[in-house]
Amino acid sequence: MSKFSGKTFIVARYEFLKTIRRKEFLFMTFAFPLLLTGIAFIPPLLAGTTPAEDQRVGYIDMTGSFYFPESSISEGFSLGPLGAKSSTIEFVKYDESSKARKALHSEQISSYLIVPADFLETGVIELYASEKGMSVTGSELSAELSNIAINSLLKDRVDETVLKRIKNPINLKLYNVGDNGEPSEQGIAEVLTNFGLPLLMAFLLFFSIFSSSGYLLRGVSEEKENRIMEVLLSSVTPSELLTGKVVGLGAVGLLQIVVWISAIVLGGGYALPVKIDPMLLFIALIYFLLGFLFFASMMAGIGAVTGSLQESQQVAGIFTFAAAFPLVFMQFILTKPDSPLAVFLSLFPFTSPVTMLARIGASEVPFYQIAASFFILFVSIHAVIVISSRLFRVYLLMYGKRPGVKEILKNIREGGR
Amino acid sequence: MHALEFEGVSKSFAENNVIRNISFSVEPGEIFGLLGPNGAGKTTLIRLLLDILKPDSGEIRVFGGSLGPAAKDRIGYLPEERGLYRKTKLLDMLVYLAQLKNVPKKKAQTNAESLLKSLGLYEYRGKRVEELSKGMQQKIQFLSSIIHEPELIILDEPFSGLDPISTKTVKDKIIEYRKAGRTVIFSTHMMEQAQKLCDRILMLNKGQRVLYGTVAGIRKEHGQNSLLVEFAEKRSLSIIQEISGIRKITEHEGSFEIFPEEGISAQAVLQELVQRAEILRFEQALPSLNEIFIETVESASGE
Repeated sequence: MSKFSGKTFIVARYEFLKTIRRKEFLFMTFAFPLLLTGIAFIPPLLAGTTPAEDQRVGYIDMTGSFYFPESSISEGFSLGPLGAKSSTIEFVKYDESSKARKALHSEQISSYLIVPADFLETGVIELYASEKGMSVTGSELSAELSNIAINSLLKDRVDETVLKRIKNPINLKLYNVGDNGEPSEQGIAEVLTNFGLPLLMAFLLFFSIFSSSGYLLRGVSEEKENRIMEVLLSSVTPSELLTGKVVGLGAVGLLQIVVWISAIVLGGGYALPVKIDPMLLFIALIYFLLGFLFFASMMAGIGAVTGSLQESQQVAGIFTFAAAFPLVFMQFILTKPDSPLAVFLSLFPFTSPVTMLARIGASEVPFYQIAASFFILFVSIHAVIVISSRLFRVYLLMYGKRPGVKEILKNIREGGR
Repeated sequence: MHALEFEGVSKSFAENNVIRNISFSVEPGEIFGLLGPNGAGKTTLIRLLLDILKPDSGEIRVFGGSLGPAAKDRIGYLPEERGLYRKTKLLDMLVYLAQLKNVPKKKAQTNAESLLKSLGLYEYRGKRVEELSKGMQQKIQFLSSIIHEPELIILDEPFSGLDPISTKTVKDKIIEYRKAGRTVIFSTHMMEQAQKLCDRILMLNKGQRVLYGTVAGIRKEHGQNSLLVEFAEKRSLSIIQEISGIRKITEHEGSFEIFPEEGISAQAVLQELVQRAEILRFEQALPSLNEIFIETVESASGE
């Protein structure tokens, strides 16, 4: 690549500004955060249609040994910030069921409970509600009542800690025993972090690499097709043009991935119980840059050789398929991140950005492997840029029949002179 | 210093010799015509000079040296295959193309606006190229090649597909540029335009140089030492026939072309004529570039 000249910068800035105004770009970039926002906000809004307002519940205690609190606060379970709405249940004591029934009819209370005298033997508590519908769900109340029952039966007979343990007897945790013998904790959040996030990141990386290198392919084909290329080449050298385009569209892709990651970091805190390692983000950005450089330079070469946009997209499709390979095998990579296939895919330049990111999320990848994949990618980028700029020079102004593979190879070899 | 110099330049594509051992030079401040039939290698020659293509052999010097980035900025180019960004706004595109020639943004903006005004296109500056008529697009294209005020302007078939008004606009600009001391090279196969506009020409046929020199010199060289005479009276024809030393007389549109015999000067024949008849007009008859062009190309293909 030639040195970064003023003209390279002009090309880069032009391509950047032109692309970020494209409707496709705006859609791709903001559709994802909107989707995430949707996940965060829509379920609570739907949940909000069933009222979770404060309730009055009557009770008749026939055992005479229950301690009902005056009120209790029940935490509603829901996703998102708006879902964490709590409702207060106020308990009202009645002496006989006829009074309670009257209160229910006059809507002073929404339902009433009867604790029968033989509760200790049967464990039965009866809940009466009007036919119009139950406001307090049975399950919600049941959890509340079992706490009240335990309190009533055991208070002052056992320690506070024992009481707490009886209310919440076990808390099962899963451990994975890894190869190094170190067990690692695995809860629901960890499962999401280990599998959901790498998968999401790998997909986003794939999309941003291919949408921005796709813009490059399209740009080159269009300029070739509408013949403005010749005017451009009378002002800039092919490598200035190539570098400018790659830098400008790389910045576009970077902007896109930053918007996405910000959406995950900002919105993720609400929507998903996920913690994101800043190191992972950093590595993701590096892989984006390298992956983009690799594919974008390749796309530029393809755009230069082929005669029309349609044709170029067909040829590019072959390479895109190769890059999508790890997405197909993602489950395998995530469950067996240290298998030879996964290691190979994380080193092979076509698949390494996506695969390595997934592996880093799924397990501890030795540093030397990350370094090796960076190095291989780096060398490949250099080779692709050299080849592409030679093809750029030879084929940009050639129209008509697409050259054969043999002729292309010959020109790559001879381009060095 | 020559504005442009080719020295023994050859270029071939996959066994096809497109340019064969071409040498010529273009002087500063002249209008130089690059002529030849389709496929003669004119466009290839232009691409070579712009460093879009590399020659197989020979040397090309622009402004006295090999074409570097700074020299590129002093050249304006209108390619034969016209192309513009279709979806970009007119002013934005012109500014971008000027910036690629290292014109600062502000200056590019002023230049673009004043050029658009001079061509009566200022009100369209915010339009996209695809919204313009074909004639306007052609003017815009020409404008984009001169927006950075180049010293050397290269126009590949500038008149092809132009309506008469656009043709006049382009022609006026070319003459204006010569007056300002700038160099214009244009390729064409419209010989009338070339004969009227060019100071000197290079004619290519099948990649080879067939004619090179001043327009007047080439015409004289290909002239057959004949006189074009217009008489006051038609019957004077019989008088001329009495004059000795005349090989042939042809008549076209009221005037006569008189071909003296070998070794007799046109001047001597004229003296005889003046003594015998009343002459309204006379001139040394020169073939048009068009005639020379057809003759040269036909004789080459006849070989």
